Amino acid sequence: MNIKKFLTLIILLTSATLFAQVDRSKMPEPGPAPEIKIADAETFTLDNGLKVFVVENHKLPEVSFSIMFNYPPVSEKEYAGLSNITGSLLGTATKTMTKDEIDENIDFIGATLSTSAKGVYGNALKKNIDVLAKIMGDIVANPKFEKTELDKIKKRTISSLKAGEKEPSTIADNVKNVLDFGKDSPYGEIETEKTVKNITIDKCVEFYDNYMRPNVSYLAIVGDINLDEAKNLADKYFANWKKGNVPAVKFKSKRPPLIRKVAMVDRPSAVQSVIHITYPVKLKPGDKLGFAAKVANAILGGAFVSRLNMDLREKHAYTYGAHSTLDDDIYMGEFDATCEARNAVTDSAVTQFLYEMKKMRSEKVTEDELNTVKKFMIGQFARSLENPSTIARFAINIERYNLPKDYYKNYLKNLDAVTVDDVYKASKKYIKPDKAYVLVVGNNSEVGKKLKKFSLSGKIDYYDTYGNKVDPDAEKLPADITVDQVIDNYLKAIGGKDKIANIKDETVAMEGNIQGMNIKITVVRKFPNKYYFNLDLGAMQQTQKFDGKNAVVSGMGQSKKLEGDQLEALKEESEMYPLLRYKELGIKPELIGLGKVNDKSAYKVKLTFPNGNSSVIYIDADTGLKLREASSRKTPQGEFATTVDFSDYKDWNGIKYPGKIVQTVGPQTIDMTVKEVKINSGVKDDFFKVD
Amino acid sequence: MSKKLFVIAALFLMQIGIKAQEKKINFTEYNLPNGLHVILHQDHSTPIVAVSVMYHVGSKNEQPNRTGFAHFFEHLMFEGSDNIARGQYFKIVQGNGGTLNANTTFDRTFYYEVLPSNELALGLWLESERMLHLKIDSIGVETQRKVVKEEKKQRIDNQPYGSLLEEVFKHSYKVHPYRWTPIGSDQYIDKASLKEFMDFYKTYYVPNNATLSISGDINIDEAKKLVAKYFADIPRGTRKMNRPTVVEPPITHEIRDTVYDNIQLPAVVETYRIPAQGTKDYYAINMLTTLLSQGKSSWLQKTLVDKKQAALYTGAFPFALEDPGLFIVFGIANAGVKPQQLESDIDSVIAKVRTTEISDKEFQKLRNQIETNFVSKASTNLGIAEQLANYYVYFGDANLINTEIDRYMKVTKEDLLKAAQKYFAPNSRVILYYLPKSAKK
Repeated sequence: MNIKKFLTLIILLTSATLFAQVDRSKMPEPGPAPEIKIADAETFTLDNGLKVFVVENHKLPEVSFSIMFNYPPVSEKEYAGLSNITGSLLGTATKTMTKDEIDENIDFIGATLSTSAKGVYGNALKKNIDVLAKIMGDIVANPKFEKTELDKIKKRTISSLKAGEKEPSTIADNVKNVLDFGKDSPYGEIETEKTVKNITIDKCVEFYDNYMRPNVSYLAIVGDINLDEAKNLADKYFANWKKGNVPAVKFKSKRPPLIRKVAMVDRPSAVQSVIHITYPVKLKPGDKLGFAAKVANAILGGAFVSRLNMDLREKHAYTYGAHSTLDDDIYMGEFDATCEARNAVTDSAVTQFLYEMKKMRSEKVTEDELNTVKKFMIGQFARSLENPSTIARFAINIERYNLPKDYYKNYLKNLDAVTVDDVYKASKKYIKPDKAYVLVVGNNSEVGKKLKKFSLSGKIDYYDTYGNKVDPDAEKLPADITVDQVIDNYLKAIGGKDKIANIKDETVAMEGNIQGMNIKITVVRKFPNKYYFNLDLGAMQQTQKFDGKNAVVSGMGQSKKLEGDQLEALKEESEMYPLLRYKELGIKPELIGLGKVNDKSAYKVKLTFPNGNSSVIYIDADTGLKLREASSRKTPQGEFATTVDFSDYKDWNGIKYPGKIVQTVGPQTIDMTVKEVKINSGVKDDFFKVD
Repeated sequence: MSKKLFVIAALFLMQIGIKAQEKKINFTEYNLPNGLHVILHQDHSTPIVAVSVMYHVGSKNEQPNRTGFAHFFEHLMFEGSDNIARGQYFKIVQGNGGTLNANTTFDRTFYYEVLPSNELALGLWLESERMLHLKIDSIGVETQRKVVKEEKKQRIDNQPYGSLLEEVFKHSYKVHPYRWTPIGSDQYIDKASLKEFMDFYKTYYVPNNATLSISGDINIDEAKKLVAKYFADIPRGTRKMNRPTVVEPPITHEIRDTVYDNIQLPAVVETYRIPAQGTKDYYAINMLTTLLSQGKSSWLQKTLVDKKQAALYTGAFPFALEDPGLFIVFGIANAGVKPQQLESDIDSVIAKVRTTEISDKEFQKLRNQIETNFVSKASTNLGIAEQLANYYVYFGDANLINTEIDRYMKVTKEDLLKAAQKYFAPNSRVILYYLPKSAKK
């Protein structure tokens, strides 16, 4: 035997012994559990009140600076978006540096820098931290807010709002926040083009002055740095940041729904629905049921192997992934279970969500399940420590939430102490399938009907992408139609601009019925603005006249001059075809949407008159004829909404006029039939004379 | 400068030198007799370990009538094995404090678990089980078929601009399998059969086509023993693997098209072919990408977003692949900006980079940015494990995790200009407009 072969033999034998040791049918036992060490953050406070936390970690030669503005949630109302825009504006210029200089200096050292409503973050190699800290200090202490930069940010914000209108997840988040917290809560406010346009430099300066103050902020310095170095940098660059009296705010939020409600946002082209089962939750950080609540949510939907994902994805294949969160918060927390599922199984997915949520309340989890999820959460905790900024986050959380100093040191111990009964108790308290919003962003015509069954009131509330309630029957406007086209079509349909322009006078005789009484109405108009109205009730008559300047109403031997709103009303009425010359008349038309009038699609055009009054007219999308006019007018008796419907159009000497006019004022309806229309019969001016 | 200060400065420099060396990532690598490549990196700072396996197979190994196959198969790798019942794989990992996932690209498929460090053996057992005897049945296949289609809807069909990569690659390649993307198409996902999956498995999921890369709180010698224990008896694969050799001919005339999508703001995409990763020009292209789009002073950002306000968002991505890939410039128009305007603004930037040699200061900035990126890359165990595997699989040299920076530092200003002129030629590009569906006539 030569040596080489002998060696091969030994190797083979050794390998064979190794192979023999493998019993693949058994899962390997773990080695002794490693100790999970939680490093300490060092801390000091600057004279301006800025609390600084330092975490030394020399694994990589880099350092990060993270400033967190911890002001309370602010209601921005008609300026919604103000904090975000102020956050973006911060960092565009300082009293000593232009935007270009900041951008170039940061990029030159290969650093990253970002600013937001909540803080400023920067990261750089150790050798460059002095430059980074200097710029960051300058940004928070001496910002310069310039209108040109504000305008750029507003433009981008508005563009991205527009882009978000097509993003199902953005839409869902908007509406979810409105449902859970309310539009007037800082947590439910939504930025729109309008609120962003309201924001001015002064508002941004005011916001910065009020809220972005060191005495309500934290600075975390993490990485390849020691306490002395950190102190020097903080003293040198952040001590000039002036403290201030940050206004206290009163936090507003909605109560959870009393019954399960279904909310839907229609996305007609959607192939998949975004589903949320959600509601606000009162659960503060450090709550004594906090650990049990975390465990309950982890079992329900906090991990890949949680019940929701195993049910909806692995068992039913409804979705790519289903999960849930139960967020604690000082002001108002939130439960949210979510997935995206194809149209055909959207309702089945909701059924399974509710089933799994109910099960958490009706049955205790098993010991086995509890132990599994605890191990998962311990692992999650250990993995989070890989990132050194976790230690800084822990220290900051202890401060801002007023947690016990040893909250994170005891985290694993407290997690381990959670029992099956604790989980049951927490589930009963925090998992509420019957008092939740079922929110679906998806294709209404394909999934809407099947969602009704989840609503305890039997109805679905529809919302637009900004969380406003909408009428689901209202249709979307085609993108390429303009208000002028709609008006042109209307004028064409009733006879054409030339013919209408030739009308000098017009007399319309109508008959009708009001509360069982027969009535006759005669309306005479003369170009440009003379008006006569006669109501004949048989036993009595009423006449209104307007001669272009003055108006009078008379009847039963009495006569009264009209003034104010009543005079304005007659002025409006005196115009025969206001749309023919709306520009001259100062009427502002606006195409506001598509609607339905007795099953006919109609363009809704809002007309705003120079006196501030407005009406909405509905123009038939097919024929161009006017189907309805809706207005609201102030009268001495209060404000009345009036709707007038037009139908049965007939031709009178080339001009189309409705044969039927139905006027509804409040609960009262007047049906009129047009008997005769006379055009250019030569009515004299005297006819309208006001005595 | 006084002498004393000078000495201190010199000391300081020396220290930096030593420190930089300390940050070197040390690793051990070797092959098992069955061809499995093993890379081990030890780091005791957190008691966790990342266990990963990279299989050198991706969508480019698929047949044109089975696009999406490699990614579909990735889902099936979680189904179970002879010793792991269906549905248990995830439970075992998460129930023992771990996390797991996988992803599929054009060129490779990557699987990982990050576990508490005392569960290294568990991670190795799990990965070896599915490499040795994966078990899939028709229930699993049918379930994942639906899940994969939901994934496609969620990430692509139901997302604004979600089809971008698909469209870009479809228009840029005519013969190379890069003409389809890893997610594939529904019609072929529907056709994939159990038998085809098993053939695919036996061909590509073999130790001689895999790299086992481990990083974390481990003892190298113990880890070696455990690796041998679980992987040494997995037989080497013998089937022929489909490795496409087809060379995509160059584009000689600009290609233009329009995609109508469920979007509000138009977008413009320009793509240029670039050389395969690892080539000299590849490093120049990466630096050009940094010049064009990293940071607020980058050319695209400064010109399009800040100065001209034509774009809401802009970015440049080198899609460097094993075979020649793509350089993609993308811009979403600000409201009211026409795509033609955005295109001409993008073009002005591209033209500048093709005609102007950058200043020394800007070149230094670029090198500083590249250096920072390079350092920051090594921040997690999973990231280190994946990079080691990447460098080995694509470049045959895992040590590039420490030395690739040298290749960047060799690139000169002239190289940048030459690369821009060579690759960003107007007649070799593809231009796509993304327009709202309502704009379709």
